[in-house]
Amino acid sequence: MVDVLRFESPVTTIYPTGETEDLTLGDLSEITKQIVRADSKTAAAEQLAVTFGSSRIDGDVIVLGQRPDEFLLVGTPTATASLVEGLDRSGHVSVIDHTHSRAMFRLTGSNASATLEKLCSVDWSEPMTPNGAVVSASLAKVGCDIARLDRGPDRSYLIACDRSFAQYLFDAIIDAGNEFDIAVVALAPTLV
Amino acid sequence: MLLVPCPNCGPRNSADLRYFGESHERPNPASASPHEWRSYLYLEDNPADWLKESWFCRSGCRRYFTLERHTGTNEFRSPPMPGNKVGGKA
Repeated sequence: MVDVLRFESPVTTIYPTGETEDLTLGDLSEITKQIVRADSKTAAAEQLAVTFGSSRIDGDVIVLGQRPDEFLLVGTPTATASLVEGLDRSGHVSVIDHTHSRAMFRLTGSNASATLEKLCSVDWSEPMTPNGAVVSASLAKVGCDIARLDRGPDRSYLIACDRSFAQYLFDAIIDAGNEFDIAVVALAPTLV
Repeated sequence: MLLVPCPNCGPRNSADLRYFGESHERPNPASASPHEWRSYLYLEDNPADWLKESWFCRSGCRRYFTLERHTGTNEFRSPPMPGNKVGGKA
């Protein structure tokens, strides 16, 4: 019999959960995260079909172009595995599963960009970061990959950082969002 | 705050980048004299004028790039910008 290790979130502080329309923060760390490094001239990069700073949805997977030659695949375990298996590995291509080394949060609400503006010097205005934009930046002095993926009319951001900084960053976002009545919500590890 | 125009990420706070100093052409290892090597490695021009310098975008694209900056005014000359972005509040 094979023991299946249960995923343990790096965020251990228990916040009172709530639901507001203005701003919510959820821990999505359990979601599968695969990083593909592929030069732009490789067949794998063509298959993934996103450029640096943009993203696209492929079924249950979101493909994020987080560096000029690096892609982050986020989604359900089966869908990401299926996409990775179908990649042409010719040339300089590598795939590493970062599910347990990277944390991921989802910040959603009309005040989401105002909260990020308190922590980060990136311009979150519509011309610079439209829906689908991917940005790598320092958020509360933590190196993060941030993707804007709106949920309906509300702005929503996926925030990925190294697991060791996750608790600090989660607390920092809560601290910044307190003036907007931020609420912590429980999220299932899916993008829906 | 100094906004540094990264050719991949756009204008970024200089705290998000690493400054690598003046950018000079590397001398030919086969023919360079010790004086040329010492000058390349340790000596700076440090002009109060336009200067070609190297930066590393450590929080963003993680790429090295060179820019021309006026050391007196912190103005950047013809900075390359990503795509056709025109900038918002930055």
